[in-house]
Amino acid sequence: MILTPNILARLVAIVVGGVILQLTFFSQVSIFHVSPDLLPALIVVLGLLGGSLTGAVCGFSAGFLLDCLLIVPLGGGSLVLLATGYLAGLFRERFEIHSVLVPPLLCMGLTLFAELGFGAVELMLGIDAPVSTLVIRDMLVKSVFAFFAGWAIYIGVRRALRPALVEEPALRRNRRPTVLGT
Amino acid sequence: MYRKQVRRRRAVLALLIVGSFALLTITYQQGNDGMQRGVSTIFSPLVSVADRALKPARDMVNWFDETFDAKGRNEQLHSELEVARKQAVGAKAALAENEQLRKLLGLDNSGAIPGGYTPVTGRVISRSPTVWFSDVTIDVGSGDGVGVDDPVVNGDGLVGTVAAVTGGTARVTLIVDHSSAVTAKLVPSGTQGLLKPSVGDPEDLVLDFLASEKLVGKGQSVVTSGFRAIGYESGYPPNLPIGEVVEAPLVEQEAQQQVHIKPYADLRNLDLVQVLTGGSRG
Repeated sequence: MILTPNILARLVAIVVGGVILQLTFFSQVSIFHVSPDLLPALIVVLGLLGGSLTGAVCGFSAGFLLDCLLIVPLGGGSLVLLATGYLAGLFRERFEIHSVLVPPLLCMGLTLFAELGFGAVELMLGIDAPVSTLVIRDMLVKSVFAFFAGWAIYIGVRRALRPALVEEPALRRNRRPTVLGT
Repeated sequence: MYRKQVRRRRAVLALLIVGSFALLTITYQQGNDGMQRGVSTIFSPLVSVADRALKPARDMVNWFDETFDAKGRNEQLHSELEVARKQAVGAKAALAENEQLRKLLGLDNSGAIPGGYTPVTGRVISRSPTVWFSDVTIDVGSGDGVGVDDPVVNGDGLVGTVAAVTGGTARVTLIVDHSSAVTAKLVPSGTQGLLKPSVGDPEDLVLDFLASEKLVGKGQSVVTSGFRAIGYESGYPPNLPIGEVVEAPLVEQEAQQQVHIKPYADLRNLDLVQVLTGGSRG
């Protein structure tokens, strides 16, 4: 990703907008008794488009802002989302994205990873109450939501950051050219 | 050139990880710092505007979810309605008697909010996205007289307590948060206990340490008892409605001395709440 002041401003707007939308909309709606958590999916997409460093920095910033706005101990959200963004970026740097299913699948997998991460941070900080098995259902359903929303987020963010993206060469067509007059 | 890039990337990554752990260590030990309050103050007007703008869309999504849910619960509610009608007749008589007793005792007629408390109405502007933090942010803060540990209620019953405040916002820890514990009693039996949540299931609270030989039945109401338990600092005023007993297996009552409670307040869809400011914390 080519970072110019314009692209940097767009990245900041995407991260701030994503956090505010998550807090004021997605966290307050309930679909099948579960509130979607699309912030990890947004960070995955940023990592996929921008690479591991962009993913990590965006994840850290989104987590920091999230913790600040929720007035909870800082650092937990940053750590989890930083790892999520870094892993997504690392995937992009190591492998080529051939299928349209890769972004949503990665959003699903890394959302599950992020939810497990939030749980692990909380357990490390000490939970003085029984943990319901519904926590697992909540995590799985959130991952499924991320799968369905992942592709839309990917297209939207890709369009917003298009000028900064380094386009990969188009794959050579397998179809043989039509030869006329033989 | 490539090695330099890799080194720079690793350095930034290491810095971010160390920064995260440092923030976690510092703020977990010392609570909210000025930086967090500053960021919150800057962004809270933006969050407030977004919250109001997105309310119609949110209500629409929740309406679909609730409609699907309501279809399934329709039959169950019909049977419950029959029972409730019979109970309502008895309750009306009890209310009339209660009214007379209140007049006799010179108590406040409303009785919903204990004396000495001033309610401050606030709107929920944001909510934690993870299941591990059951808390919401409201648009009233220390500037409106809201303080830490103030009880928070809505039209249905107890919602939680104020955990942190800034000038214009406050974080409310809901009664289903893992850090919450409410001293409660069953009515009319008066059996006391400590109400704790089951993390991940906002419709299940566990009333523990039932120091009574009496068996508890389904449908009994639970209200705050007003006394303070050892190790639990937040004090709620007495007789705030919390919920009702939905599950009271005999085995669980005898072996673990606990029953399951469903809160009256719909903690997933909170909108307007009241913070009970002032009053006694003792």
